[in-house]
Amino acid sequence: MHPDENVINDYVDGALAPRERADVGRHLDSCPACRQLVADLREVTRAATTLEQHEPPSRAWSRIERAIALEAGRAPGVARASRARWLAVAAALVLATFVGLRFSPFGARRTTPDAPASIAAGNAVNAVNAVNAADALETEMRQAEQHYEKAIKGLEEIANAEQGALDPGTAATLTKNLAVIDQAIGESRAAVRSQPASEPAQQSLIENFKAKIGLLQDTVALINEMRKGNETGLARAVSGLK
Amino acid sequence: MAAPKQRPPVPFPSKEVTVSQGETQIDAFERLYRQHAPRIFSLACRMAGSAEDGEDLLQEIFLQAYRKLGSFKGDAAIGTWLYRLALNHCLDYVRSRRVKMSRLTETLDADTSFEPAAPRETPIARLDLERALERLPDGCREAFVLHDVEGFDHKEVGRLLGVAEGTSKSQVFKARLKLRAILGRRS
Repeated sequence: MHPDENVINDYVDGALAPRERADVGRHLDSCPACRQLVADLREVTRAATTLEQHEPPSRAWSRIERAIALEAGRAPGVARASRARWLAVAAALVLATFVGLRFSPFGARRTTPDAPASIAAGNAVNAVNAVNAADALETEMRQAEQHYEKAIKGLEEIANAEQGALDPGTAATLTKNLAVIDQAIGESRAAVRSQPASEPAQQSLIENFKAKIGLLQDTVALINEMRKGNETGLARAVSGLK
Repeated sequence: MAAPKQRPPVPFPSKEVTVSQGETQIDAFERLYRQHAPRIFSLACRMAGSAEDGEDLLQEIFLQAYRKLGSFKGDAAIGTWLYRLALNHCLDYVRSRRVKMSRLTETLDADTSFEPAAPRETPIARLDLERALERLPDGCREAFVLHDVEGFDHKEVGRLLGVAEGTSKSQVFKARLKLRAILGRRS
């Protein structure tokens, strides 16, 4: 008889008492399937200990810096950029975060009322709630679109004003990637217009807006690193655009 | 009436993170960020199951750290303090997500029975494991990351996730089996 899964797991973790461990060891000697299972599980646990740390994207610090500055009521990097420009970025980021939270998969669920406990009474209530929820979602979607468009416009102004500072290759990559995202936004927007209540269509549009904001944030981060003359940061920022 | 006691100025942020001459507080905090962000970002991505959510968590964690640095007593290394703060933040996130997604998670968890896998002869590549982690059900992944990646014992994992020690063991085992199945098929 094979050892149960808890015993196998404890064996792999070295958590069995010596006698139990010896029992399992004897079983493994005669059972290729369990031997293979133990070998595989050990390989998974070994690999887990070798996982490396991820370097966050270069825009991550810029986002944190701006959020801190916003909380403190001042714009960061005033010596390197105009206050108005940075406040525009911060405002754009706040809008994006606000909309992103509301229209994340979990955020969207939050707007749906809980199902009533009583099924009999629930059908009518559900029908009314469904209509209300659909209306609310459509309204929120329209608001989300406006917020995203405003955020994108602010970031675009900065990116466009500074794009001359980018080398031609990076600028071309940026233009190409923005065109791809713009096309995707156009397609998902058309899908939302034809099916306003479709959650996948809404999510797709939001994801595309987020992709565009991410790319524009990377561009701003790149411009920032160029100003600082930070070679490492510059390399990270350029790789983020590709 | 006695004047209220003036609080002594709080050194920013602590003796371990000092503001050098010509540096701003933000510069000093950025140094702290550069030093610790990779570990915290990795934890956040793995606990959340996606780099996008991990990035959001990273931002929230460092914002919270900035707000709380004044209250850091220095009785632990700043890295330990920051890690604990990050872990708690990630746990709050997964707990809140679990409540919202409980029905779906149960369905997915039920799918993680003893799955046969093609035997693999080659070592598991780190990148493959990272990708496979994203495919685990939330409960399994959280327990696996805390136990097998971060090195907590089952008792501690149970306490952190608010489940019994036995549940932690079972979730880690399910995660290992699921990973074996995912990675075995890829080899």
